[in-house]
Amino acid sequence: MRVEFQDIHKDYGRVRANVGINLVLEPGRIYGLLGENGAGKSTLMRMLAGHTQPSRGRVLFNGKNAEGLNPSRALAMGVGMLYQDPMDFPALDVWENFRLGGTKRDKKRTLSRLQELGERFHFRLSPQEKVSELTVGERQQLELLRLLDLGVKVLILDEPTTGISVTQKEMLFTTMRQLARDKGRTIIFVSHKLTEVEELCQEVIVLRQGRLVAKLQSPFQSDELLKLMFGDEHGGTAECPERSQPGEGEFIQLEDVQLLGDKYILPDISLQIRPGEILGLAGLEGSGQELLLRGLAGLARAAKGRIIFDGEEFQGRPYLKFRQAGIHFLPAARLEHGLFPDLSLNEHFHLAFPPRNGGRDNLLPEEGIRKFSIQGQLTTSARALSGGNQQRLLLALIPAQTKLLLLEHPTRGLDHGAGQQVWNHLLGRCRQNTALLFSSADLDEIKAHSHRVLIFYNRQLVADLPNHAISVEEMGRLMAGQGRAV
Amino acid sequence: MDFLALTLAGILSAGAPLVLATLGETLTERAGVINLSLDGTILLAAMTAFALAFVSGNPWLGLVGSIAVGMATAAIVVLIGPVLGRSQLAVGFILTLLCRDLAYFLGHPYARQFGPELPVWSIPGIRDLPFIGPILGYQSPVVYLSLGLTVFLWWWLFSTRAGLELRAVGEEPWAAFARGIKVQRLRIMYTLLGGALVGLAGGAFSLAVKPGWGRPQGAEGAGWIALAIVIFGGWHPLRAALGAYLFATLQVLGIYLQEQFPGLPAPLFQVAPFPVMILTLLLVNVGSTGWFQELAFRYPGMKRWLSRWQVTAPAALGQDFRPERET
Amino acid sequence: MSYAARFSLSLGRLAAAVFLSLVFTTLLLLVSGAPPLHTFAILFAGGIGSVAKLGQTIAVWIPLVLCSSALLLTFAPGLWNIGIEGQIILGAIFATGFLRPFPAGASPLVLAGALIAGMIGGAFWAYIAGVLRTWGRVHEIFGGLGLNFVALGLTLWLIFGPWRRPGVASMSGTEPLHPSLWLKGIKGFSLSPVSLVLALLAIFLVIYLLRSTRWGLSLKAVGQNPEAALLYGLKPNKRIVEAMALCGALAGLAGALQVVGVYHRLLPAISSNYGYTALLVTMLASFRPNLIPPICFFFAVLNVGSIQLPLQLKLDSSLSGVIQGVLVLSIFLVHGLEERWQLLRRQK
Repeated sequence: MRVEFQDIHKDYGRVRANVGINLVLEPGRIYGLLGENGAGKSTLMRMLAGHTQPSRGRVLFNGKNAEGLNPSRALAMGVGMLYQDPMDFPALDVWENFRLGGTKRDKKRTLSRLQELGERFHFRLSPQEKVSELTVGERQQLELLRLLDLGVKVLILDEPTTGISVTQKEMLFTTMRQLARDKGRTIIFVSHKLTEVEELCQEVIVLRQGRLVAKLQSPFQSDELLKLMFGDEHGGTAECPERSQPGEGEFIQLEDVQLLGDKYILPDISLQIRPGEILGLAGLEGSGQELLLRGLAGLARAAKGRIIFDGEEFQGRPYLKFRQAGIHFLPAARLEHGLFPDLSLNEHFHLAFPPRNGGRDNLLPEEGIRKFSIQGQLTTSARALSGGNQQRLLLALIPAQTKLLLLEHPTRGLDHGAGQQVWNHLLGRCRQNTALLFSSADLDEIKAHSHRVLIFYNRQLVADLPNHAISVEEMGRLMAGQGRAV
Repeated sequence: MDFLALTLAGILSAGAPLVLATLGETLTERAGVINLSLDGTILLAAMTAFALAFVSGNPWLGLVGSIAVGMATAAIVVLIGPVLGRSQLAVGFILTLLCRDLAYFLGHPYARQFGPELPVWSIPGIRDLPFIGPILGYQSPVVYLSLGLTVFLWWWLFSTRAGLELRAVGEEPWAAFARGIKVQRLRIMYTLLGGALVGLAGGAFSLAVKPGWGRPQGAEGAGWIALAIVIFGGWHPLRAALGAYLFATLQVLGIYLQEQFPGLPAPLFQVAPFPVMILTLLLVNVGSTGWFQELAFRYPGMKRWLSRWQVTAPAALGQDFRPERET
Repeated sequence: MSYAARFSLSLGRLAAAVFLSLVFTTLLLLVSGAPPLHTFAILFAGGIGSVAKLGQTIAVWIPLVLCSSALLLTFAPGLWNIGIEGQIILGAIFATGFLRPFPAGASPLVLAGALIAGMIGGAFWAYIAGVLRTWGRVHEIFGGLGLNFVALGLTLWLIFGPWRRPGVASMSGTEPLHPSLWLKGIKGFSLSPVSLVLALLAIFLVIYLLRSTRWGLSLKAVGQNPEAALLYGLKPNKRIVEAMALCGALAGLAGALQVVGVYHRLLPAISSNYGYTALLVTMLASFRPNLIPPICFFFAVLNVGSIQLPLQLKLDSSLSGVIQGVLVLSIFLVHGLEERWQLLRRQK
């Protein structure tokens, strides 16, 4: 099917997510949709899938105007989308997920069809299992099978490689090529990762700040693509600000610690962390890195072993003791877990910095807003801030005397510039001997900023290596449970 | 033997309105909507059913009226709540009080009157069976309805495509939307349908189980119990019905105990279900608290025993779904 | 938006809601065969028709204000303290219990002690609901509601059991208190200036706590995002229990005042549904403290006026509750429609 976008605009309040996009997509080809975070890639694709409507402009399928597109109509037209965060039903069984919104058949036929498709693409899924038990990669495979069963002609994959293993990625790419070549499907691969787009796509479309800036044929030139993605000011890969050497001595020690999570247990962690040291935590979602961060923050209980900060034992103590000792945790979902949506910036500062105990070292609200260049006033609510401003607000709210910072996905969803600002600030803190542990799905980010890399697989810590001793590729292999034993 | 059979028959009868209301609310909450107005709705429906039956002389007409009342309050809940985006709990609570007062106000002329009741059906074939006969052979039609609906809804919820879609809408409305399921339409439909069953429970009270109307009617508090049973039942029709019969048993037991021990003050029996309600909710919820999980880590046996009772609510329960407001 | 614009907007909403409920009530009266205008006249004459009636209305206004402002404390962290009804009852029970050892009267100090006992009783009952919520994950709606029924059962048991009147136990309550333990009213009114002052103090206390203290800000933060509140070290569970207990204390004070100031004994219906009515008041006021006193007054007028309905028109007195409920429901409807309309306008 031929898809045509005509002068598409999409505004969210004052934010212009898409501006005047004109684009034609032909059947049987694999397109890459490239752009940094916030460039408007997902928005454009969500409009094609009928998930949201353009503020202005038209989408044409085979020359016919698709007005008032919604997901059910888009599916009927043959457009299917694999969303970045799996859009499925964790509480339901695999086969029920496959059945929902799919072709009408009875249970027996549904099961046999699921098995047939799974075999064809070499996906191993057990139909009676709950989806919540699957890995992100398996959930994607299930979604893919469902869309293929619906006979979609245009398949959109929104950042499908975040959170899946290398093997799963290779399987996915093979399937994509097969579908485009043998079945004449149009495939749109949305990503901000150059290498993947170069590997898979025949044509690439680059978006920057909501505008279409280029449509190029393979082979691609990396330099040119980078320039198109980031504009002239950012030439190469993230230029890394100066990283200081960690200080001396063992500031934090974990001895055979066993952590209890809501869903799983993380056994036998032993670690030493020096002041000012930066540790990057790599692993597929749910592999244990979340629990380690929460355990170090005092939010998950240590059932065994010893956690020692500055020579003092902390295991079994309440969260507040950890906090008072200078340990600060920032969760991944900023507005959902880290901020109070309807409270003002001023109120956030008041809550974060109680007037007594050392309040003087901390920022006053006006100072904080200025120093962290937060686009807002004292009375602005947290809800009204953009993602970057929310992240800067969270950074501003870190107490001055913090000795250990624990961050989940510090730059997720931020554009290049905002991400850079975050790292500038964090590295500045580490220079003052604050130790930092961060998790990220972006291995390049881990490689760029950490002194040491911890790799998690299958709810275990499988590797603890200095940065220079491991490459990004090797990280990927270890995360997928392959490669050397440590 | 006879005594036991009669007791069981009494439990089935006393439990019928509770089962109907619980099934209705289970449907509604499975779709992701909380209709908190049960206690008021049941009273207003009971009053309407009795008044209509009294005026027309036809109890079946009364039953139809009770269904209409249940659907009407459900319509208000769904309109102001999920459709217009105000708090579902608030609307439900206001309706609880409003419907109760409305029932007392409009029912004033019908209080303490003799009116028609639903007939007792005797089922040929079943009524002559030993032991089963006295339990299931002679019952009010609402009892048969409550039993039939329990099994039907269980089958329907877990074995049909429509039931699957209902569960999907209450779990992940956005994912359901992305698959072309009409989320808002289903939610409205099941809230109304659930409301109809809740209304029916009111009719079952005033036309069969506690016939007549008055202030108080005797059904006060039943709505709250039903709401708690929905949670206790883990949003599962069979388990919910079981919960309803548990409370009915308590009620029947109360009557016997009162006869046995006339010295005990009557209020004790009237309020007894409510501490039990709190305890049942504690039983199904305490397993998910942090302190309990720590305890369970030390004593695994405790965890195994309690996890059998533990329930999980539909993931999107009480959350609005409004695609036009996305940001 | 400026304060004046916001104020006139909420006034406009209120007017629309009043109109809607007027239409509904009129229709309701026509259906039940009562003359609407005459009924409204009786309602208002019954509430403010004479100085004595005005006094009665203010006597109802006092517990309503106490409970409504108390509920602001529990609504701030997002709690539905439906159990407030039982907290009033426990306040009354504790106050009565405190005064029972003095059948021959005692000094005013004992009276003050009874008020404090009432506050402890209410706080205790609310504390249970709070702990059930925080340590047992039993939603406060169910915990509170269950405790309401238990409190009612407790009252009935006391009145018919250990505290029954010598001779006959009856629904008319316990033996009246010795007159020296009555909160003295203004001459000719059943209205005590002490109660009035306490109610006013309560509302100012709540405003102060919520607007000017870190504790109040923490409550709001807990209501906005409990998980974030935990991370910020605001101890959400502790805040929830505190808010509940303080709300319960004020409700308990209302209950104690009903005993020593109004009925001078413990009655089965001692709470007069004021807790539930106060929930409606707070919602109608959209949780804004400055709207609470006027709304409480209006509701009190309806409550007192409706006593005349069965006497004069053979109508059930629950009409006042119907009007109150419809009014709050209307404001929700108006609010929702207004938002929907704005949304449609923005999308055009």
